[in-house]
Amino acid sequence: MGILLEKISKNYNGQAVLKNLNLEIVRGEFHVLLGPSGGGKTTTLSVIAGLIRQDRGSVFIGSRNVSRLSPEKRKIGFVFQDYALFPHLSVFDNVAYGLRVKKIKASKISVRVGHYLHKVGMEKERDKFPHELSGGQKQRVALIRALVTEPEVLLLDEPMSNLDALTRETIADELKSIQQEMGMTTVYVTHNQGEAVLLGDRVSVLNHGEIEQIESPDELFCHPKTEFVARFIGAKNILKARVIRINQHEAIAQVNNSGLAKPLKIRVKKYPIFEKGKEINLCIHPEKIILKREDKVVDGNLNQIRGKILDRRNNGRFVKARIAAGGMELHAAIPKNIFDFETNENVWVCFAPDTPHPLCGKRCRATETERRCLKG
Amino acid sequence: MKGIAFDLAVSLIAAVFVCLLTLPIFALFTATSFVELVNQFSSPLVLSAIVISLETSLIVVFLALCLGLPVAYLLATKQFRGKEILDTLVDLPISMPPLVAGLALLILLGGNSKLGGLLNNCGIDLIFSKKGIIIAQLFVSSPFLIKSARGAFESINNNVIDASLTLGASKFYTFKKVLLPLAKNGIYAGMVMTWARALGEFGATSMVAGCIPYKTETMTVAIYHNVMSGELGSSVAIALLLTIFSFTSLLIFKSRIRGQTAVIV
Repeated sequence: MGILLEKISKNYNGQAVLKNLNLEIVRGEFHVLLGPSGGGKTTTLSVIAGLIRQDRGSVFIGSRNVSRLSPEKRKIGFVFQDYALFPHLSVFDNVAYGLRVKKIKASKISVRVGHYLHKVGMEKERDKFPHELSGGQKQRVALIRALVTEPEVLLLDEPMSNLDALTRETIADELKSIQQEMGMTTVYVTHNQGEAVLLGDRVSVLNHGEIEQIESPDELFCHPKTEFVARFIGAKNILKARVIRINQHEAIAQVNNSGLAKPLKIRVKKYPIFEKGKEINLCIHPEKIILKREDKVVDGNLNQIRGKILDRRNNGRFVKARIAAGGMELHAAIPKNIFDFETNENVWVCFAPDTPHPLCGKRCRATETERRCLKG
Repeated sequence: MKGIAFDLAVSLIAAVFVCLLTLPIFALFTATSFVELVNQFSSPLVLSAIVISLETSLIVVFLALCLGLPVAYLLATKQFRGKEILDTLVDLPISMPPLVAGLALLILLGGNSKLGGLLNNCGIDLIFSKKGIIIAQLFVSSPFLIKSARGAFESINNNVIDASLTLGASKFYTFKKVLLPLAKNGIYAGMVMTWARALGEFGATSMVAGCIPYKTETMTVAIYHNVMSGELGSSVAIALLLTIFSFTSLLIFKSRIRGQTAVIV
């Protein structure tokens, strides 16, 4: 069953938490709601579940309008951030709870609960109580408790935020494989970009109760469409520019970021939305920045800005550097094995003309050869 | 040195307070002999008072459970207009002098009132009867159950309740299978405190039900009545029994409260 949210609005104490939100999740899709705290992710999930009643708008699960139905009538499975296991019931009884509600025969309950416990490797823990389980085990029980009743949709509210990195990865794999096996429409709330990439078929980025962008994870991370999304996914280099000349394949843009000592001209791949004189925000991923020593000759095809390394920070396989460039601040993420610069060292900050991506606020459309931003 | 002096002063003051609490109980235990105690407990008047007290207080606990649990659930889980007023009303009998409570009930239920007259016409006589004792005890003691049960309901994680609903359970099923089991220790503690308070009730009970031997004379009323008529022996026997009941109920209450915090994880 797919999910359709139509013009959903919700206010708390006069403050809008969801603003006219529209979202269509297709049947069998693993959809991730990504965003910072206070963006409206959990409220959206709770509205789908019926735990929070929207002020305006409609919720459809499949063809059923469930807008006015209470949670118990919506045929959903919900996994909570804090697991919300019943502390007075054993693992078996926790998982069997939803089946007992449906008055299924004890023999069938035993078989079905056993099957799901086996699926997540928890057969030996069937008689334990929640306080005797580890965080990962609790989350597995919470997951199969939601799945065992075979709901039409599965909703998960930051289910892995309390787990360590290793357990998180294992459970994410298990979750994805179970979801694919059952083909269940799933909505997953997280603020973790890694989880969004790993799990989502599509990702919606929520900010202040509005969806900023809906995209596949790859497309979202390669081509953020708004400044908020770009910053949220870590593409911190935003150049505020004006198109001053358009050639056959390239355009010349004048960068006017606040703090710049003097305007800076850069070459940018020509996008159909470009018009002479148009103000546009351009985003450059830190991974696409190339650093060269000040005394090195730079490839003429690259844009180059003189800069100075302010600080550097190890981040796994990458070194993240903050660079002062002509009065603005740029960020670079360079593979550790090729990073050979010191703090306060003068460098050339280089990037290819096809690296800056316009934050036009519109979805990219796929063509046979490339994704391009279209006019209108 | 100053630290030691402070500790010493605090310990001395605490010792004085402990004496204040224990000496009267000690005096009570030494005011009679074992033989005298056995004699008193075989007296029909004393036995009658004990039976009436136990009977009425246990009925009160049952009624407080039936009437108080829904109120506790409402106060713990719902937001509604007038909640503050209801909350204050629940607390009122605790701060209200029992004699005032008794007088109010007497005025409401007495033969001269409309309600009292109506009940009399239906053959229900509440004043100077066991039913009157039950109503008086219920009035003054039920807030203990409501407050304890409310605290227990409030301590339950809301997500656990929501989890039950999303698994298809109705609100009633969730109340029965999740809320009640998780709040049971708090409810038990409230029942024990309600029972102890009902057992020890004197002011409202004597005002509404009087002190008719073998009919409305509860243990506390019997103590007062016997002391006034110079029969100290039976008063001491009943008082000792009440003290043991109080001590036991407090022990149960404390163990249940500890259990409550252990269950809510």
